[in-house]
Amino acid sequence: MEKITVASQWLESCAGCHMSFLDIDERIIELLKYVELSATPITDLKHPPKEGVTVGILTGGIGNEEHIAEAKLMRERCKILIAMGDCAVTGGICTMRNFFDKDAVLRRGYIETESTVDGVIPEHEDLPPLTEQVSGVDEIVPVDIYLPGCPPSADAIWYVLSELVAGRMPKLEGDVLKYGMDGG
Amino acid sequence: MSKIKLTINDKEVMVEEGQTILEVAKEVGVDIPVLCHHPALTNWGACRMCLVEVAGMRGLQTACTCPATEGMNIQTETEQAVNVRKFVLELLFSERNHYCMFCQMSGDCELQDAAYRYGLEHFTYPRPYEKFEIDASRKYFIQDPNRCILCSRCIRACAEIAANHTLNLKGRGAGTRVIADLDVPFGESTCIECGTCLQVCPTGALIDVRSAYGGREKDVTHTQTTCLQCSVGCQLDVVTRYARLLRVDGIFGAAPNDGLLCVKGRFEPLYDEERQRVQTPLVRKDGQLQECSWEEALPWVAEKLATGTAQGLAATATTNAAFQAFGKLFEKIGGPAGLLCGTLPELGYGKGATIPDVLAADYIVVAGAKPLTTHKVVGYFIKRAADNGATIALVGEPENELRSYAQLNVSYAEMDKVSVDIPDAAAVVVVYGAGLTAEGIAALKPLAEKAVFLGLEPGRNGRGAAAAGLAPLAPAPAETRLVLLGEHPVKAAWVEQLNGAFTVVQASYHSPLTEKADVVLPTPIWAERSGHVTNLEGQVLPLQAALELPSGVRDEAEVLVALAKLIG
Repeated sequence: MEKITVASQWLESCAGCHMSFLDIDERIIELLKYVELSATPITDLKHPPKEGVTVGILTGGIGNEEHIAEAKLMRERCKILIAMGDCAVTGGICTMRNFFDKDAVLRRGYIETESTVDGVIPEHEDLPPLTEQVSGVDEIVPVDIYLPGCPPSADAIWYVLSELVAGRMPKLEGDVLKYGMDGG
Repeated sequence: MSKIKLTINDKEVMVEEGQTILEVAKEVGVDIPVLCHHPALTNWGACRMCLVEVAGMRGLQTACTCPATEGMNIQTETEQAVNVRKFVLELLFSERNHYCMFCQMSGDCELQDAAYRYGLEHFTYPRPYEKFEIDASRKYFIQDPNRCILCSRCIRACAEIAANHTLNLKGRGAGTRVIADLDVPFGESTCIECGTCLQVCPTGALIDVRSAYGGREKDVTHTQTTCLQCSVGCQLDVVTRYARLLRVDGIFGAAPNDGLLCVKGRFEPLYDEERQRVQTPLVRKDGQLQECSWEEALPWVAEKLATGTAQGLAATATTNAAFQAFGKLFEKIGGPAGLLCGTLPELGYGKGATIPDVLAADYIVVAGAKPLTTHKVVGYFIKRAADNGATIALVGEPENELRSYAQLNVSYAEMDKVSVDIPDAAAVVVVYGAGLTAEGIAALKPLAEKAVFLGLEPGRNGRGAAAAGLAPLAPAPAETRLVLLGEHPVKAAWVEQLNGAFTVVQASYHSPLTEKADVVLPTPIWAERSGHVTNLEGQVLPLQAALELPSGVRDEAEVLVALAKLIG
């Protein structure tokens, strides 16, 4: 049986979703019989390969221009796109800044913070500009599977991947469907 | 009541007539989701979560408001009903800030539960991110309109349960908000902070300051006990996690208060943090109060009580068993024992009323009492009775706080006006208090046959003390004085009166009185108490400890029995 290829990328994310993926523990050995992990933020290969992958996983919300580019690249190069974690699904905790305008957020972060002296808002050609608002991935590219949670539990991640390996589309309900922290 | 036959989800059932589809479904074990419905409130039909299909009826019906009738064929989970519920949820989630990961209700939220039930794994519609101002102008709870679904439970609770009518809606469509009065900050409004709205809110829109993020329903322990803040005897659901008091809720359906609490019972005891607990027995040595063991303190106290004259004075914030033991101890040593606080005047006529009688009354006479200050839940019940059409008459109380609810406000001399005003078949309740004068007692006598009488006992467990034979007693010269204070706040006059004797104080908190004492014996606080109290109706109500006794603290009754034993 040919292995399915999986790539992942984190956008405006705390990396907690990837940590939760690693929490599937020894089941990763079982998973690797059927799955080939391609590009991930913690491997040498950072971007999904040109020849494409079967499953793309995005964690984190869309908060700047780079996130938009990364989301589009992943969508182009994968057959099934999973928005993993509350931030990828809805924008998550990052949307707290949506209640303020972008400039006010930058000012608060770089100038007005109590511990900051002579702060400046950084500007550089390598720094991607912020979007006006943070959004979920599906406001930029179509998403096939939503896996909410902050983070989704290892069991929920395992459930989604093992269903895909078995050739089925996972249906999120019951214990694998949680928002926020597992079990509240 | 006659029975009707109907079909629900293909199951034929016989049920009582006069119920809604939702009530029938609940009775036969069919779970229909709800958001705006709450069993203690009138049915509203606003949220559309409970829509069901009824054969032959056009469109979907709201199960919470639609009466169940003979021969109905009801389907609760058809594709159409489920799709409509999902659609409603998608609209609710798109409207405001319903991000579970930064909400204290996540895990216990009824909106979240509904979304889980129907498998909502993402937001279908974009969110406007409209920002509503958070109102934190009250001490005990916060309103965050960004998490409000406008179900109006809070508004109905305020109007129907607390009879306070502070809350209402302002604006239209997505901009609608729950406001206080004419849209003033809650802290400046007519809100009485009874917390009923907080308890019935299905989402995180009302946030309890103390218990927020303190534990999920699955983590906490519930203990039913009786409130010790006044003599109403409200039933409390004390919510704890480990040794921490998280919150107090009312218990709908439990007499006498049927879920309604006041700020003194629900919030204030949890914020009693300015007073310092007495942790161990203290005895005065070289002019200073010093910690000592119970084994050292008790024989000394027993010796002092047994030799020379002794007087016992008690406040009313303790259990029936403690009052009994207190009375017996002083019987044994032959000294007088009584109460520091006053009690009700003796009427000498009339039949006693229950607190629910107030709700059922057509005519309520208030004399010598300020229930909205001293026995708030009774006061709220009077307002509720007034909302339901009862006539309120104030006698000898021209400036009473209930005057804006009263149709009649007369002096004792004009009592005949009240007698004439009372309809023949009316259920009449007289609510009287410690302020009733001899003139008042005489003036009310014509109602002795017609009315039932609810005396607002001023002492917290004053009826329990009276049952133990303790009556108000003035401090008299004595060589030794034992003061059973418990957690009762100390009045300045007491401190003055209690000069000039060897003073033993049983108290939960340090106070000007314990500072003057020669021995201090630590006592439990309300949440640590087991035993019984007797409320103003004369009902003996149980106390159950929600917290363990701190290691240095002993129950007063146990200590008083031990003292009696030591005296021999």
